Amino acid sequence: MIFGLLVLHVAVCVVLACAGRRLGRSSLLVGAVPPACSALWGASRLGADPPATADVTWVSGLDLAMTFRVDAFAGIMTLIVSGIGVLVFVYAFGYFGPGAAHTGRFATTLLAFSTSMLGLVWADSVWTLFVFWELTSVTSFLLVGHKSTDAQVLAAARRALMVTAGGGLVLLAGLLLVTGAAGTTLISELAPVDGTAATVGAVLVMIAAATKSAQVPFHPWLPGAMVAPTPVSAYLHAATMVKAGVVLVAVSGPALSGIGAWKGCGLAFGVASIVWGALGALRHRDAKLILAWGTVSQLGMLITLFSVGTPMAVLAAVSLLVAHALFKGALFLIVGEIDVRAGTRHIDELGGLARSMPVAFAAAVLAGLSMAGAPPLFGFVAKETAIQAALGLDGPEAWLVGFGVIGGSVLTVAYTFRFLIAVFGPGPETPLSPRRHALSVPPAVLAVAGIAAFAVLGRIDAVLEPAAVRLSGGAAVEHLHRWPGLEPALAISAVVLVIGAIVGLAMGRRPGQAPADYAGRWTDASIDGTVAFGRATVARVQHGSLPVYLVTMAAVATMAAIPFLADISLDHLVAWHTPLQGVLAAAVVGAAVALCFVGTRLGAGLALGAAGITVAAVFVIHGAPDLALTQLLVEAAIVVGFVLAFGHLSRSFPMTGLRWRAVRITVAGLGGVAVVIGLGAASGNPVAAPPLAELAAASVDEGGGSNIVNVILTDIRGLDTLGEVLVLATVALGVQALARGLASTESSASGSSAS
Amino acid sequence: MIDGSAPMIRLGIRAASPFAVIVGCYLLFAGHNNPGGGFAAGLVFGAVLALRTIAGFHRPTYGIALVAAGVFVVAGVALMPLLWGDPLFDQQVLSVEVPLLGEIKTGSALPFDIGVAAIVVGTVIAALDGLGAAEFAADPPADSDRGEPG
Repeated sequence: MIFGLLVLHVAVCVVLACAGRRLGRSSLLVGAVPPACSALWGASRLGADPPATADVTWVSGLDLAMTFRVDAFAGIMTLIVSGIGVLVFVYAFGYFGPGAAHTGRFATTLLAFSTSMLGLVWADSVWTLFVFWELTSVTSFLLVGHKSTDAQVLAAARRALMVTAGGGLVLLAGLLLVTGAAGTTLISELAPVDGTAATVGAVLVMIAAATKSAQVPFHPWLPGAMVAPTPVSAYLHAATMVKAGVVLVAVSGPALSGIGAWKGCGLAFGVASIVWGALGALRHRDAKLILAWGTVSQLGMLITLFSVGTPMAVLAAVSLLVAHALFKGALFLIVGEIDVRAGTRHIDELGGLARSMPVAFAAAVLAGLSMAGAPPLFGFVAKETAIQAALGLDGPEAWLVGFGVIGGSVLTVAYTFRFLIAVFGPGPETPLSPRRHALSVPPAVLAVAGIAAFAVLGRIDAVLEPAAVRLSGGAAVEHLHRWPGLEPALAISAVVLVIGAIVGLAMGRRPGQAPADYAGRWTDASIDGTVAFGRATVARVQHGSLPVYLVTMAAVATMAAIPFLADISLDHLVAWHTPLQGVLAAAVVGAAVALCFVGTRLGAGLALGAAGITVAAVFVIHGAPDLALTQLLVEAAIVVGFVLAFGHLSRSFPMTGLRWRAVRITVAGLGGVAVVIGLGAASGNPVAAPPLAELAAASVDEGGGSNIVNVILTDIRGLDTLGEVLVLATVALGVQALARGLASTESSASGSSAS
Repeated sequence: MIDGSAPMIRLGIRAASPFAVIVGCYLLFAGHNNPGGGFAAGLVFGAVLALRTIAGFHRPTYGIALVAAGVFVVAGVALMPLLWGDPLFDQQVLSVEVPLLGEIKTGSALPFDIGVAAIVVGTVIAALDGLGAAEFAADPPADSDRGEPG
């Protein structure tokens, strides 16, 4: 079923890519079909035991396999990814309106993202997870940059890609270290690990999660990505993609939460993001940016809770994950509706919307109160559980988490009230375009889901509890309570609501300026700096002098031989088998030495040819006619090449400095020494006797030929030969391209000189 | 520039090239049982072409097409056995009884060698082209892009 659903997604993606232009806006409705199927399947799998699994092995020796496993937690994520996916597709149908450009492309990319995200939450092999992680980065880049004619949009898309894809590289390194320490690549089999490598790996994994989930200081890409169409912001930047980092922290929690540095990093990222994100949400004046900064804060809360890793904290985090997807998705979609109908989302230009958009207002109040954590909504349950989890800790951790959770809750209430008042509050009535049902229904569904989840909390608990058990490594987990009873947590919650509401109401209508985007500028500057550094390095390393390239390559190859010096054994060394070999060797050396000091090109060519032909004679003495034949023919071909090339060159070598010549002779000599070292090491350590008899028999029986060399080339090691001739073909293409390039520069040079 | 148009050189190359082609063919077909093979045969053919180019009988063309054809043949021989479930590069040996000549044994190594030879020849042609060998052609192409003389 897992593969069936993935194939369905990909197939519809292909269809949309081909027919999207013709289908136009209705491709968005077609695109909603696969997520609908996945959502139904996910709903049917909720709480099901045992988990659904599927895998295909690619390279078994390297543990490379596509492995999927849909357990209790992945089931919940499936419902979020695909369920909200369906709503977003329907919403996008209304958002783009008839006649909008590139809707087919948008639907294709959105579905591709949805597929990648499903793959990510279903992945059990860390490499499967990594592949889909990168795919979400790429599709997110395409979706953020959907309006590809706007320079600001492209800059934001680049920023998002650079930060999240850079995080992907960090993730790769981290996963290598962690799986190396754990001895398995399956997430479900990861056991608690420790040691230096595991610690470094765990920190890298946490950093990768922080880039993807927009944690301070990697957060600027998320507010920047708000230039994307609102369906993208709601889907990727509230409900799903930014949760990828949280999912990573969640699923690796059972294995890594024993590592102090992992927890410390997570708490640092999380608490800093809670506070900084919420302050950003209190200061910005674009309704969408307010929500984006709020998302940074909420993601910080999730990372904090998952890093803590106690069963209570994990339960709170899973609840908040679901609640956040519902309320933040709804709020984004409402802002998008306002944006479409009012033509602006700047809070100074909005007024009277509570009366003119009653459905959106009601949905926003429901979603907002859930975000603030007010009863009787699901957000209240999640926040209560989080406060209880914070109160259940001890030591310095308790203070930090308590500060983050409680302080963050106050700020959340404050920015929620500010948002509701600033967007829907009284003021000069904003003119609106007519209502579109596709725009108003999806957010209402999500907002009502928040209250429905509270009403049927028992059922929700039955689904969330196994997920929390799975993510806390099998420990017993408490149940969610609709009403916690008169406890400290409830008192704290009440105080939080009162203080937050006062702050929010006070700030709601206060005029002001949006803060300057210093962090964003810093991020862009560091991306630009990296690019400039790359350019400068390339300009320095690839400066275009062939002799320097050659000498550098030879020198590096020489150094590579040094480690083998210790492997040389003199046991197998004999002076020669026949004295003729000595004579030939002397001739080769003589030719090589002469080559170094000959002044004319033709002389050098002859010396080179002499060395080559003498080597062919050595092959003959050793009884290798194939090798000798090939060597002779290559020498002949080289002579022809020289003859042709000399036509373009001066007779003698240009007078270069003596020092440069000395460098080249030294490197050439050292290259010879390196070859001697390599051969000495190779022949000094025979691993086994050459299987000559077997080869000869196999050659006749299976290869059908008596020339072993040829049978080896065409049959036994045919794959090597294939690789070699492909290299040769590539060389031919390169020569052709170089010749063409040279010809065109020559002709353009002569053309410009003639004119 | 080398003078490839001297009468003795032209005559020598013209006289030698058929024999060289025969040697190349021998190497190609004999390779499976005696010294030789696709690479050596390709080099012989390449040398013939290079000499004929220098003498002005020939212009280096279609090098890349030859390389492409060779790659297709080689890859085809490599992948074909997969179609009937054999491992990559599985050798198919074919034995034919020919009157007068007796039994001739050949196999899928032969097309593989032919493909290798084609790639080598194509590479030699591309290299000749890259070294400006077109200028040796007896009838040089009109220099349309050189502009007005003077």
